[in-house]
Order: sequence, then structure tokens, then C-alpha cells
Amino acid sequence: MTPACDSVRRARPLLGTFVEISASGARSGDLHAAVSRAFDIVADVHRLMSFHDRDSDVSRLNRKAATRPVAVHPWTYEVLRWSAELHDASGGLFDIAVADTLQRVGLLPDGDSGRPRVARPGPRPAPVALLAHNRVRFTRSDVRLDLGGIAKGFAVDRAAEILQALGVPRGLVNAGGDIAAFGAEPFTVHIRDPRDASRILAEVHLSNEGIASSGAAFDRRAGAPRVAIVDPTTGRLASTIAGATVRASRCVLADALTKLVVVSGRSADALLTRYGASALLVSWHGDVLATRSWGKELRPAS
Amino acid sequence: MRPTTGWVRWAAPPAIVVSIAAPALAMRYLSVEQAQKVAFPDATRFVEAHVIFTPADVAAIERRSGQKVLARGQQVWRAFSGDRMVGFFIVDYVIGKHLVIDYAVALDPNGRVGHVEILEYRESYGGEISNRSWLAQFVGKTSQDPLQIDQDIRNISGATLSSRHVTEGVKRVLALYDTCLR
Repeated sequence: MTPACDSVRRARPLLGTFVEISASGARSGDLHAAVSRAFDIVADVHRLMSFHDRDSDVSRLNRKAATRPVAVHPWTYEVLRWSAELHDASGGLFDIAVADTLQRVGLLPDGDSGRPRVARPGPRPAPVALLAHNRVRFTRSDVRLDLGGIAKGFAVDRAAEILQALGVPRGLVNAGGDIAAFGAEPFTVHIRDPRDASRILAEVHLSNEGIASSGAAFDRRAGAPRVAIVDPTTGRLASTIAGATVRASRCVLADALTKLVVVSGRSADALLTRYGASALLVSWHGDVLATRSWGKELRPAS
Repeated sequence: MRPTTGWVRWAAPPAIVVSIAAPALAMRYLSVEQAQKVAFPDATRFVEAHVIFTPADVAAIERRSGQKVLARGQQVWRAFSGDRMVGFFIVDYVIGKHLVIDYAVALDPNGRVGHVEILEYRESYGGEISNRSWLAQFVGKTSQDPLQIDQDIRNISGATLSSRHVTEGVKRVLALYDTCLR
């Protein structure tokens, strides 16, 4: 029952989740080679941006960038540039320097610098200064970066890009719900209900764009579902929105914007418009809202 | 407050929302043979090494990896390109809270991990997983055995699965390499 040799679907454990890549429309051997290459790219992003890996750019920055400029890989620089832009556009609500809070609530392990410092609530200035030649330094001494809110989307974009560069006509990259799709024929993507992971909330059709979801997950430490996203205005985990799905031109944007929708709910509207993105948000007390642009197209899963 | 005119309340017909369950999680990505080819595209042959654990092996692997050894042996192949050994291909499985996952680890001749590729996964059911006979049906599965595999498994955006169990399994596979293959 081997399917015809023009479609492959594979998965590898990367980025702390399962990354799945589908590719079709070329010879099976070429598709496999392209998919292997795309997985290698995702593994590269993982190595560069992991909070846990001591040798990653993120760990090097957390050890050194408070005291001097540190050179990073061009990809890390690009993610930091996106982060800076979104930090600016959101008035500080998109913050990649919230590792201290995540450590405090047990969502990240304590680093080598001992006890996590506790963030003062309220949006803070941009944590990273972008210097020439892919060098960066922290703007404050208390910065601890975690790119968990954006790196996965970036990795997905890079993987989709390499597949296209290698001549794959149609494909989909899914890193634990952060998805990029390309090709003439759209892919059907199902959106899980953040309040009940065994339920599908809706389906959308995706082509040449990205989609990402952030939502509650059961947390053993808390004994209840919670959302692993820090609201910088309170210095605590966001608690009114159970989950959000954002669709945008790139997955990196979709990934980052889901965090903003979870933090600011309806008022993320202007930001979504600015980036030509659309969103679905589910609040804990049951409201399901969609941006107008998306409302028409969204349909119940069939 | 700025009026937020951009949102519309979206209501799926309630009957539909409550009746649609997420699809059963089951997916077969690659057969062992396909995964071997993907792992070592230049290999001309794969020679199976029949690794059967002695009690001392089990103890050593458990000590080195901190993982429990459930199997009595391991499916291991040596990949050759002509006469040159180009690496090891090892098939393993892990049982998580939600999934049973078959995966393959490609090692270079020095035991360094090239990559980990998922072969297939199936949903595991909390209570039943401790039942040995239920477990037995997954042990030694070949790619020919029919399981309830949904080839049209959906692309889902939402709550994600952790790959922690596989990461732990790979530690055990590396301890197996140190113990039995090095």
C-alpha cells in the first residue's frame, strides 16, 4: 500500500516537539532529499536558539551580552530583528526577555546564574540593541532571553523556503502547530480547541502563508491548564484568553502575533491589521472571536 | 477606550462543536526500509546485527541512560557503502502518556547521532498501557502489519505534543551503542 512516488510525509523530534514535513509533486527521491535538508535547517535553528543548550546563541547571549557585544548567527540576528520590531509595534507587549518569569513559574529551568530574578511588572524597554555585523548586546543587566515565542515560526519559514528552493512544488511544514504551507493547491488545517485538546474547533484552507496557535496546556505544577505566555503588563502568565490562532504571510509573524493576541485579546486588532494578519481567539469563558477578514472564511470542521 | 470593530463573534453550530472529536492519533510515515534509505542514501546494503541483551547489558544500559529497558533486544543494522561501514541504523520505540512511537536513530560509525526519524505513532490509552497483553501487540510490529493508520491524518494547529519521551529514548539507544556496538 505504498502511495504513488510523488508525495512524502515525515516527522522528526525537533524544537521540543514533533516537526512534520509533507512534500509532493516531484520524484520521491528528490522529495526525500529536500525534506532531509529542510529537517537539517530546523535542527540548525534549534541548536542556535534553544534556551536549554549551553552552546546556543541564546545561551551565549544570556551569559555574556549584558556586559559586551556578542556576535550571533545571521538567523539569530534576524529573529532578534523581528522581535525588536514587534516589541516596538506592540508598545513592549511582545517581549523576548521574560525567561525570568517563565523560570519563576517553573516553565523554564533555572539557568546557570542561579535563582531567577523577578521581573517588575509593566512593559519594559527593548531588551536587545542590534549592532552592526550581526552583533548584539543587552540594554540592561537583568535581561534573560527566551526565543520560544518566535523561533519555531522562524524555523518553519526557513524549512518551507529551502523546500521551495530545492524545487518542491507543494509542501507543508508543521512544528507542533506552527505551520507554513506553499503550492498552488491549499492545505486543509484544523484548529484545535484550546479548552479541550480532543476537540477540533474549526478548519481553514492554507496556501502560501503561515498559521500558528498558542493555547493552554495542562500543567502538572499548576494542576490546571494554563497558557505559557507572560503578560508583561502584570509580570504574570496571561489568564483571560485560553488560546489564539493567527494566520499571516509568514509563520514567524503568525507565531509572534499569537502571543500578542493571548496577552491583549481584542486590542491586538490594530497590530493584526498592520501585518495583514487575521486571528481567532478563544476566551476562558467561552467566547470565540474571529477578525472580520477571517470570519467569512472560517468554517466548522467537517 | 478605542472601539474594537475588527472582531466578530464566531459561533460554530453547537451541535457540531460538541460532536467533532479530534482524529485518532495514528500515523505511519516511513517503513524501516524507507527510513534506512533516507538515513544513508549512499548505502549499498544494510546488514542486520541481532542484538540480544544479556542481563549485564540491560543493567549497563539502564545505568548509563537512566532509562528502563523494556525490550529483550534491539533491531540494529550496519549500513555499508561498498566495503565501507557508514553507520548504524537502530529502530526503537517509546511509550508516552499519549502515544506509542516507533522511531529510528541514525548513528555515524563513531556513534554520533545523525538524526532521529519518526517511523510511526499510535495513540496509547492511559489505563490500557500498563496491560502487558495490550502492549504486546505493539512489540515487534513490522511495517506490513495493519494498524488503524489514518493515512489522511489532518494537519492540526493547536496544543502540541512533547517530544521528551523520544529524547529520553535516544539516550537509551546511545547507551545501547556504548554497551553492545562500540
